[in-house]
Amino acid sequence: MFKTILQYVRGLAITCIGLLLLTQPAWAFCGFYVAKADTELYNQASQVIIARDGDRTVLTMANDYEGEVSDFALVVPVPVVLKEEQVHIGEASIIKRLDDFSAPRLVEYFDENPCAVRRFDDGFGLLQNAAPPMPMAAESMRETAADLGVTIEEQFSVGEYDILILSAKESDGLETWLRQNDYQLPQGASELLRPYIRNKLKFFVAKVNLEEFDRSGVNQLRPLMMAFESPKYMLPIRLGMMNAQQAQDLIVYILSPKGQAEVTNYRTVKIPSNVEIPEFVEAEFGDFYTTMFEQDYQRQGRDDIFLEYAWDMSSCDPCSAPNLTKAELKQAGVFWDEDQYLPRVFITRLHVRYGRDKFPEDLRFQETANRQFFQGRYVIRHPYRGEMTCSAAQDYRRQTYQRQEAEVQTLAKLTGWEPADIRRKVDFIETNGPTPTNDTWWDSIW
Amino acid sequence: MPFSDARDYQIAILTTFLLLGVYTRDWTLHLTWVLVAIATCIATQWSLSAWQAYRCRKETPVQWPPLLISGARSAVITGLGLSLLLRVNHPLVLVGAAVGAIASKFLFRYQEKHFFNPANFGIIMALLWTDGAWVSPGQWGTDWWYLLLFFSAAGLVLNRVGRWDTSIAFLASYGGLEILRNFWLGWSWDVVAHQLTSGSLLLFAFFMLTDPRSIPNGKQGRIFWAISIALLTFVLQHGLYSSMAIFWALFCLAPSTIVIDKIWRSPRFQWQEKAQPKASSSNVSLNLQTRPVI
Repeated sequence: MFKTILQYVRGLAITCIGLLLLTQPAWAFCGFYVAKADTELYNQASQVIIARDGDRTVLTMANDYEGEVSDFALVVPVPVVLKEEQVHIGEASIIKRLDDFSAPRLVEYFDENPCAVRRFDDGFGLLQNAAPPMPMAAESMRETAADLGVTIEEQFSVGEYDILILSAKESDGLETWLRQNDYQLPQGASELLRPYIRNKLKFFVAKVNLEEFDRSGVNQLRPLMMAFESPKYMLPIRLGMMNAQQAQDLIVYILSPKGQAEVTNYRTVKIPSNVEIPEFVEAEFGDFYTTMFEQDYQRQGRDDIFLEYAWDMSSCDPCSAPNLTKAELKQAGVFWDEDQYLPRVFITRLHVRYGRDKFPEDLRFQETANRQFFQGRYVIRHPYRGEMTCSAAQDYRRQTYQRQEAEVQTLAKLTGWEPADIRRKVDFIETNGPTPTNDTWWDSIW
Repeated sequence: MPFSDARDYQIAILTTFLLLGVYTRDWTLHLTWVLVAIATCIATQWSLSAWQAYRCRKETPVQWPPLLISGARSAVITGLGLSLLLRVNHPLVLVGAAVGAIASKFLFRYQEKHFFNPANFGIIMALLWTDGAWVSPGQWGTDWWYLLLFFSAAGLVLNRVGRWDTSIAFLASYGGLEILRNFWLGWSWDVVAHQLTSGSLLLFAFFMLTDPRSIPNGKQGRIFWAISIALLTFVLQHGLYSSMAIFWALFCLAPSTIVIDKIWRSPRFQWQEKAQPKASSSNVSLNLQTRPVI
């Protein structure tokens, strides 16, 4: 089984802005972080870390390869010939750390006893109307290769991987060479390789050295890291679509000293965020997030890139995982500000669900000075269900009931779930007076 | 009278685009910042007009009301253009870009004609001199209905000012180059279709490149100029990997209008044309008298 995951990087020379770690707006978060929607929710989600400052890039590719290790092979177009010193084996744990840090999150708040609060009230019932705290938002090989127009630029082993850096004159020659060397390419590979050859890209080809793999004792392929300098700032996703049956998920973590990164040839949209949803979603947050993502992906026309997180890594609010240490940031590829206690790092997490029909071009990125924070965040507010023995209780119950109904509508709109089904799962607060009608007659006709 | 001037159409259209952008394209754009940009443009325009009138008061008597209104129209267009294209971290950057944009009309002149596109000049200055500005070329997406909208809206304005030639020459030559590159690389056709339906590219081609006051006067000159910009854009984009190639290309080639105007001579464009009463009922041709306005 041949598998391609491809990355290469391009871009603009930029200037760094000095930023003060202490000037971040700090929002007081008074809820509790309870859950996150990390990449484990997706069956096939390639993950890539791009740490970039100017033209310098450290690219980390996490493989979502699930077949036999002996069958593993990877072909990645890269902008320059990489030497052994430029390739490194990363730790899978660092991708997990970044994923946890930036994952869409669920937060919860607990209502206070309206009667207990009442004691401090001024008697005008202001607290019931007060807004809740709003969450923010080889030699023989060489001969054959030469005949086919393929040059083995570099050949080395790093960790459990045997790596070749190839350049080619013709895509047919490259395809033939790869096939002769037991790379099982899908039909039509040559046509897809040609543009990269003509764009003067090199090919990073990796296979697993089984002896080394067994000796290392790890039972999982570790991420490959490469460091290079190039103005090209892009990810070639087209090869990955070659034998894909359906849309694939790609999570890109971009680390920059400056600000948000954005895609220049596709529109980037923010995932729906900062909405209040019913309590029961806590138990099925993963299902909620994937359904909501799918719904929004369809609604946006399947041709947009989703921003899931944008934040200065010196802080987080709420933190879904502890901040990364300097050592961890270095593991993730951050190479700037060596002498500083903690480097200035702004993280942009992009979620791309790409299919051949809507993503004809490779992704091209640019770095921006945009330092707006964004996080995918969903809020649960638990009603107070204890004993309430004051006149404010009735108002509180009525307003809470209305809030719960609004949460049902929000959830239905975000996920496409039936409001009636959602209501069955909601533990509505008991009200003394007549309760507002739950189901409306038109709920079930369309 | 509203809509007696082609710029009124342009203001209406750019405002519509801006609102569409804010409400349907999910932009991180503050409407108050837009107002700040427009107000700064108008204030700068009037201040510099007053200063210029003061300096030349002995030579030319100033007609304040038409000057003020005419200047305001151009300033609003520049403010809208900046808001549509430039993204900033702080409104002060926008203010700086707006002042720079309008000031360029007064500072960079040759024979009473400014040669930089004001909004483009403001964008480049903000990119060059500040850390907090950028352009988001992907933000308009590639939806077909935007394509249709841009074409029809551009038709309204460009028909009135007679500058279709510039947009068409630019799009045809840039598109042609992209098609050739696509063919050479061996990409499929949908790649080039995706590139050429970019909302930002169309917005630039129809509404920035066609500013009749700063581009060459003669038709041949404009076509030559538009093709040159397309060529430079192509080189910057695929040679230097610049994501803001179109803006840099226009900025770099703006001064060439001075030379182009000398080669292909033609009367300078005037926004306001005064029609005189018809000479006779049988002769329907109009006698136009023009008056220079900034």
